[in-house]
Amino acid sequence: MLYLKLFLSFAKIGFCSFGGLSMIPLVNTEMTANGWLTAGQVSDIVAIAEMTPGSLGVNCATFAGIQAGGLPGSVVAVLGVLTPSLTLCLAAAAFLAKLKGSPWLERMMRGIRPVCFGMILSSIVSLGASNYLVGGAVDLWTILIGIAVLILLLRFRWSVPAVIGLSAALGVLLVR
Amino acid sequence: MDRKSQGRSAPRGLILFGLFFKIGAFTFGGSWSIISQLQQEFVENRRWLAQEELMDIVSVGRSLPGIMVVNISVLFGYRMMGAVGAVLCAAGLTLPSMIVLTAVTLFYNFIRGNPYVERAMAGVRAAVAPIIIAAAVKLRRASLPDLVSAILAGAALALCLFTRVNNILIILLGVAAGLIFRGGERHAVS
Repeated sequence: MLYLKLFLSFAKIGFCSFGGLSMIPLVNTEMTANGWLTAGQVSDIVAIAEMTPGSLGVNCATFAGIQAGGLPGSVVAVLGVLTPSLTLCLAAAAFLAKLKGSPWLERMMRGIRPVCFGMILSSIVSLGASNYLVGGAVDLWTILIGIAVLILLLRFRWSVPAVIGLSAALGVLLVR
Repeated sequence: MDRKSQGRSAPRGLILFGLFFKIGAFTFGGSWSIISQLQQEFVENRRWLAQEELMDIVSVGRSLPGIMVVNISVLFGYRMMGAVGAVLCAAGLTLPSMIVLTAVTLFYNFIRGNPYVERAMAGVRAAVAPIIIAAAVKLRRASLPDLVSAILAGAALALCLFTRVNNILIILLGVAAGLIFRGGERHAVS
């Protein structure tokens, strides 16, 4: 039953994801609603996925699958998140010549892209809300780390693994 | 020549699996790096595929739901060897990150609870929202080409934050809006 739930949950995440970060909001709601991960752990896996090879989706599914149901859980979760690629996309492969440059696909994507963008923005709020609270109170140092990271990324073009390494070091030094 | 044509499909499958395993093991994050690797390996070196075919695969793979790089691998594998090739490429791409993440997750569970690790993780968590913001800044031009799309994004944001509307429903509303509103046809996928 757990495995079926994991599979369906990650299949849902797969079908709602259109590239990279757009799956974060649904990962967040699905994992916390089922009690498989806390919001803090969802942030952890986003950071871990950024520092390890492979796609966010497979990395998330492996991590959450193990936490919820051990190694079999991770296999089931990965199969779930791969479901759209192995069904819809495989079927589409046979009709590639007809689909390429299809105005219908392009029009659908014109609606999906901004909606995913809005959903990504919402995940900034929902993940941010839990990440800047330490022990139930707003932690000033984590907010300062967040601001520093934002400046390093946008202004000084640091790489993501570099800012994650730096913020881990700052966390050890500053967070109580 | 004879040796080359004999049992050609089996080695080809092995080559596909092996190359995608390598790509899966060494590709961090973005889908652009896998596309350039495919181009180098299969278009330039082996000449198994024309450049235009690769571009078609990428544009369709990006427009379907699912993990984009896996979609591209499935379409590519199918073009090379049919459904078997599709599964081989997807498996090759996925296995390395499953193996790495299994090790990382077990390690994460092992070190969790250590006070220093907790503080380091608090720092890392503080970096996650800015990382997403920086990614959103990069996505903004492609995602919000005009006023209608900005309104759609705002509506999706509000629905996510202030209501309990299902994410699937929000995406379907986006599909519907995309089909209803015309204009902006010049934004063809390149």
